[in-house]
Amino acid sequence: MLPDNEHTHISIDVFYERTHLLKMKQGRRVQKKEKTKQAILKAALELFAAKGFYATTTKAISKKSRIAEGTLFNYFETKEDLALYFFEEELSGVMEWHRANKRLNNADIAEKLFAIIQHLLERLEPYEEFIGAVYMRALSPTSKLSPFSLDSQERHLRYLRFIREILLEAEGNGEIPPVGDFGAYAFGLFQLAILTHWLRDQSRGKEETLALLDRCLKMATHFLRKGGEWNW
Amino acid sequence: MELVKTTKSGALQRGFRIGKLGFGLVGSYLGYQAQNLLLSESGKAQRRERFQKRAGQRVSEELGALKGAVMKVGQLLSMQTRVFPEEALRELAALQMHAPGMHATMARAQFKASMGKFPEDVFREFDPEPFAAASLGQVHRAITKKGEKVAVKIQYPAIRAAIENDFKVVRSATFAGQLTGYLPTAGIDEVQRGIMEETDYVNEAKNLKYFREQFEHIEWVTVPRVYEEFSSDRTLTMSFVEGRTLGAFLETKPSQRLRDLLGARLFELFDIQTCELKTLHADPHPGNYLFRPDGRIGMIDFGCVKRFDADWREMQRFYENRGWRKSEADARRFLKIICGPNAPYEKARKILPDVEEWLELFHPRGSGDIFFGRKRDPAEEKRMWAAWHRCGRRIFQNKWMNPEYAFLSRADMGLCYLLEQLGAVVNVSEIARRVEADYKTSKAIAS
Repeated sequence: MLPDNEHTHISIDVFYERTHLLKMKQGRRVQKKEKTKQAILKAALELFAAKGFYATTTKAISKKSRIAEGTLFNYFETKEDLALYFFEEELSGVMEWHRANKRLNNADIAEKLFAIIQHLLERLEPYEEFIGAVYMRALSPTSKLSPFSLDSQERHLRYLRFIREILLEAEGNGEIPPVGDFGAYAFGLFQLAILTHWLRDQSRGKEETLALLDRCLKMATHFLRKGGEWNW
Repeated sequence: MELVKTTKSGALQRGFRIGKLGFGLVGSYLGYQAQNLLLSESGKAQRRERFQKRAGQRVSEELGALKGAVMKVGQLLSMQTRVFPEEALRELAALQMHAPGMHATMARAQFKASMGKFPEDVFREFDPEPFAAASLGQVHRAITKKGEKVAVKIQYPAIRAAIENDFKVVRSATFAGQLTGYLPTAGIDEVQRGIMEETDYVNEAKNLKYFREQFEHIEWVTVPRVYEEFSSDRTLTMSFVEGRTLGAFLETKPSQRLRDLLGARLFELFDIQTCELKTLHADPHPGNYLFRPDGRIGMIDFGCVKRFDADWREMQRFYENRGWRKSEADARRFLKIICGPNAPYEKARKILPDVEEWLELFHPRGSGDIFFGRKRDPAEEKRMWAAWHRCGRRIFQNKWMNPEYAFLSRADMGLCYLLEQLGAVVNVSEIARRVEADYKTSKAIAS
């Protein structure tokens, strides 16, 4: 049986608090590491964009970020870790961008959600090859990259809370009926599906992804509006 | 959707289901149009009323959301004046200029997808809100870095693929029509080719250049200039043309003199295109012209340009002098133009009384000159369209139709309707004589 609205509403928060505490317990050392991690990621991304993902060696990354190759593994054990960190950074970037973008305040919910995914894709564009290489692994439930893995939970949930905030606002001004946490989860999965389409999109300028994104969001808001409240 | 439910006939219902499958939200509307054609007169009036009340505002919203071929079909339908109720016509006319389209974020992203750069990197200013809808995209105001005012037409993403899909549906839904030859596959191919051509803005830029050259000597007409550096096959940047669309222009309550002047000029443009250039800039529907209080006319939307061989001047003469009455040879020639070369004369001749009746009302002869835009009384009008439909039905049933004639006569009636809406009375024979003489002189000088 599906949970009622009250439960779904607190679930993201409950999970978030737990994972957040876990993260805090890991201590200050983790936070200190952050700066170094960002430096490594920056160097790696520059190399990926210039030479391509496969041609870039760890040696080159260590050279560019000025961190010994051995030390590098302390920060990122695998390529997946690097990718995970990359995605987390990009999602944070999207959230910051959205908060700073005043024009979107007056846009309707379909445009807001469109803008969020489109901006994410815009950020990811230079690293398409890299993303494509690690993406399929992310779909495996055992991967650290999986949206269900513990490692990605904290930021993942933070992102869902951010989406839910936007949905709540739309619910508040009567744009859509209450959708609870379900809306945010559904959006998360939808974003994943769009990303998959985007990676495989061969059309020029990836315009087919734009059209798909637009149509899906319009249809979803249309049905939400016409369908009235969700009846679990 | 309820319209679909009210249908009782099984075959019709199946038809609508197929329609719904392919056209989604628009199913109920197109379904209604099909249904309307098949219903008896009494049922028609009843349903029309119901339709007007219920669907009124919703139509353009839903049609507009679908874009592509369906929207194009909507525009074609809107030109078939009188066949559809006034209410629906008004809705569709609105569709021509104000379709709901891409939001600002989408337009910006699509500009990037087609030009490789964001609009803010290319222009000094770019208005994220569109000011007009084009059938396959929308138009934004912008100012170039040099300070020139431009209109940027941006195509809805992946429209080509969408249209191809729509046509697959159209083809499968009209399979029976294709088999029996009433809806020749070649005809569908032609429509598809035309629409695909319209999605290619490089082609539209070429058309714009052509008409700019051809109309250079007419100071009262404006054809926009193309900015090639800011254009691609899916983005078209043109100089901004000032003026109001027909509806907005009429709201300013222009004087009868101004209306007559604009009407005469519209006909002159039309006559030059049909008789001298043999190239017609789209169907003359109100959305393709902009009107200005000083009597200038702006031409926009050059996506759908048709070239043809037919001699429309000859047709005009036939209409003016009722030329087919003169001799059998003339009658044969006239029927060949209307029905195409395959129609047997003895059979085709039967349409002549209907043609006479229709023409007597559509192109009435007073001083011998033909006037467009004269007010007719409703009973006369009803008779006129009845004759026109009888004529069309006979041609259609015998699979005769000469496509160039069909296209040109539809354009002719479209212009006539446009002049009626404008409220202009125009002596078209006089203008045609002047244009013909002008072009003869300039050709003689050139040679």
